[in-house]
Amino acid sequence: MLSRSAERLYWLARYLERTENIARQVNVHMNLLMDLPKDVEMGWQHLIQINGCKDAFYSRYSSTQERNVTRFLLTDTTHPGSLLSSLSFARENIRTSRELMPDEAWRQVNELYLYSNKQIDAIINRRSRVLFLNEILEGCQRFNGLLSGYMSHDNAYRFIRLGRNIERADMTTRILELGSILLSEARSPSARQYENILWMNILQSLNALLMYRRHVRSRIKDDDVLNYLLLDEALPRSVNCCLFEMADAIKSLPNHNQLPEKLAELQDYVKSIDTRQTTQTQLRVILDHLQSRLGVLHAQIAKHWFLNSTQDQIQSSPKTEEQNSA
Amino acid sequence: MLKSEESNLIIKSDTMSSIWENYKTDNAYDELMFAEYQPRAVSHTLCQYLNTLNREDIDKRKTAAELAILEMGITFTVYSDEGNIDRAWPFDIIPRIIDAREWKIIDKGLKQRLTALNCFISDVYDQQTFIKENLIPREIISSSKNFRKECVGIKPKHNVWANICGTDLVRDKDGIMYVLEDNLRVPSGVSYMLENRVITKRVFPELLQDIEILPIDDYPTQLHEMLCSIAPNPNGKPQIAVLTPGIYNSAYFEHAYLAQQMGAQLVEGGDLVVDDDDCVYMRTIEGHEKVDVIYRRIDDDFLDPEVFRKDSILGVPGLMRAWKAGNVALANAPGAGVADDKVVYAYVPEMIRYYLNEEPILPNVETYLCSNPEHLDYVLKHLAELVVKPANESGGYGMLVGPHATAKEVEAFRKVVMGNPRNYIAQPTLAISTSPTLCKNKLEPRHIDLRPFILQGENTFVTAGGLTRVALKKGSLVVNSSQGGGSKDTWIINMETN
Repeated sequence: MLSRSAERLYWLARYLERTENIARQVNVHMNLLMDLPKDVEMGWQHLIQINGCKDAFYSRYSSTQERNVTRFLLTDTTHPGSLLSSLSFARENIRTSRELMPDEAWRQVNELYLYSNKQIDAIINRRSRVLFLNEILEGCQRFNGLLSGYMSHDNAYRFIRLGRNIERADMTTRILELGSILLSEARSPSARQYENILWMNILQSLNALLMYRRHVRSRIKDDDVLNYLLLDEALPRSVNCCLFEMADAIKSLPNHNQLPEKLAELQDYVKSIDTRQTTQTQLRVILDHLQSRLGVLHAQIAKHWFLNSTQDQIQSSPKTEEQNSA
Repeated sequence: MLKSEESNLIIKSDTMSSIWENYKTDNAYDELMFAEYQPRAVSHTLCQYLNTLNREDIDKRKTAAELAILEMGITFTVYSDEGNIDRAWPFDIIPRIIDAREWKIIDKGLKQRLTALNCFISDVYDQQTFIKENLIPREIISSSKNFRKECVGIKPKHNVWANICGTDLVRDKDGIMYVLEDNLRVPSGVSYMLENRVITKRVFPELLQDIEILPIDDYPTQLHEMLCSIAPNPNGKPQIAVLTPGIYNSAYFEHAYLAQQMGAQLVEGGDLVVDDDDCVYMRTIEGHEKVDVIYRRIDDDFLDPEVFRKDSILGVPGLMRAWKAGNVALANAPGAGVADDKVVYAYVPEMIRYYLNEEPILPNVETYLCSNPEHLDYVLKHLAELVVKPANESGGYGMLVGPHATAKEVEAFRKVVMGNPRNYIAQPTLAISTSPTLCKNKLEPRHIDLRPFILQGENTFVTAGGLTRVALKKGSLVVNSSQGGGSKDTWIINMETN
């Protein structure tokens, strides 16, 4: 498999996962707004904060009203981290990797992109925004399903798994960060009593509510939820599970050298996080740290398999939009 | 050539909603209609079916086709001042039909022609007997920019230089199919031919059930087999790569499509490297992997900066070295373009007689060579009636269609031709055939041509039909997609079984 192809597939999966995750973030935020009483203050600025794109946002908009934030995150194509930008990068990458994929996969992404382009105005309105976000989530899941059912689970597929899971792990930490920020800001007792609702929504945004109830079998409280989303071994969006998926893909790829060991270190680090002993501030430091370690892992993957392709190619291929970490 | 019979069907055109309203067959041969409102026998079933549709029905099918094209992402790139734009493939849903009995003859003629052309190219880079016997002036070859002296003495497998050929055919008013040109460098369009059929199946499923159309979808398999047959080592599974200039090339869609359909690697120049052992390798996640056959979609000029253009960043340094050493097969072979020259074209009938000892099955269009003083004289006198083309351009660029040009354009072109006569040829303006084409929501005659694709390696293969291109602008004769042309599905129908 060409190094250039491997790189494009990896980024295709990352961008598509990012597309899905931005939809999840906005979804959970809207649900919270509807669940929480009016006197509990909850602004849209947190979404900007957890994505680490304050500068990019304020260079385009002056205030964090719903309209601005949703446009910035969803449809603003001048912002490379927006949903529509991610989707269009994903489309460019799959368009240039069509020979490696089942045709249906390309069509799925292409159709989703064409659909999204028509929804740019629809997202202003909350009701049509909900429909749009659902369509995105379903479209991304259809893509994953197509690959799982139609594509050989070969090296090409492994690079897709790698890209998907590194992005997913990163996003789970960001959604946990959102919970943590909201919690530490909600000082009033009236807000405190809605803590439960907050965590429920967080679980739901990662499709984990039902699983949590079945597996944890306790009432929903912060450290249990954190534990579950960081460490559970079976939940597809828990950080631990994402790392496991990556380890599994890496060990079957050629020339993996030291990577399995590096990944094992990261897994040990995650397992050592004790959510019961941490304050909200400490937790955010941990999550930030986790994000930067994922960044290091990405660099190692690139060094291993992608840098084989020539330098000018890396610059010209459509994947190189930097991940928008803080 | 075979005479076409008329059908006993008369089309209703009385109602305002008829899609046939005012359909005039003009002065050209119409591929589907025998006379006004009277289809040819071969298009009987299609016309009967179209007869049951009103304008609204046909519009719905057109919309469905457009949607399918968008969703399947069938695009081509147009170069413009504002940058390169990815455009949806312009497709006309009304198919063009050819009788299988006529096709059988064309098929034979195409094979004959490509065989002779390959004999000629082999000869040009070897003994040059065709030149020595004064069958073609030596200057024509030596002044051809597609003659590559670097290729002299090389013997590609099976003595075939042009493995993939796209031959443009047009039907004149007399009903005869003429060869307009042979594209032996990097002919494109075959993916659109294949996708057109896929769309037709989606748009007219009820119709395709009732008609026996020769299938075309084995092309990728045939292409793959041909490429395997030219591999340096015929044993084992050769590693095949499609070499593309990249996503900004107008035919990138096709490169990716063919690689995908064949299960081959799609590579760019930067993915390949020629090592000290003069073998070609791909840069893969497992290190370097050997490549045996390259279906290259890059022009000779850009293929290898060590030999051809030094500034090429699309090619692979050392590729010619590897090819000459016999370590990699290139399709088409570098230098094959020497026969893809509109001046050399005029000599193809003679090549068929000389190399094959046969009479040409498919006729050439009468051609005036501006390098010949007598011809030049005639051309300059009749400029306003002729089509004048540069010898080495493709895509319909830089040509003059006399009858459609203004006096000023004709005069400007006169200067251009006189400045470089070798580079121009002229042909009479043919009344090329028309076929019913959907314009808004009714049918109008539009001029069309046909590009069948011929593969030659160990064996020779011709597509059943080809890509029909249609000039969508009323009266226009230019069918190139880069010049506002569209395309149609092409049906070869077996009348005996229908």
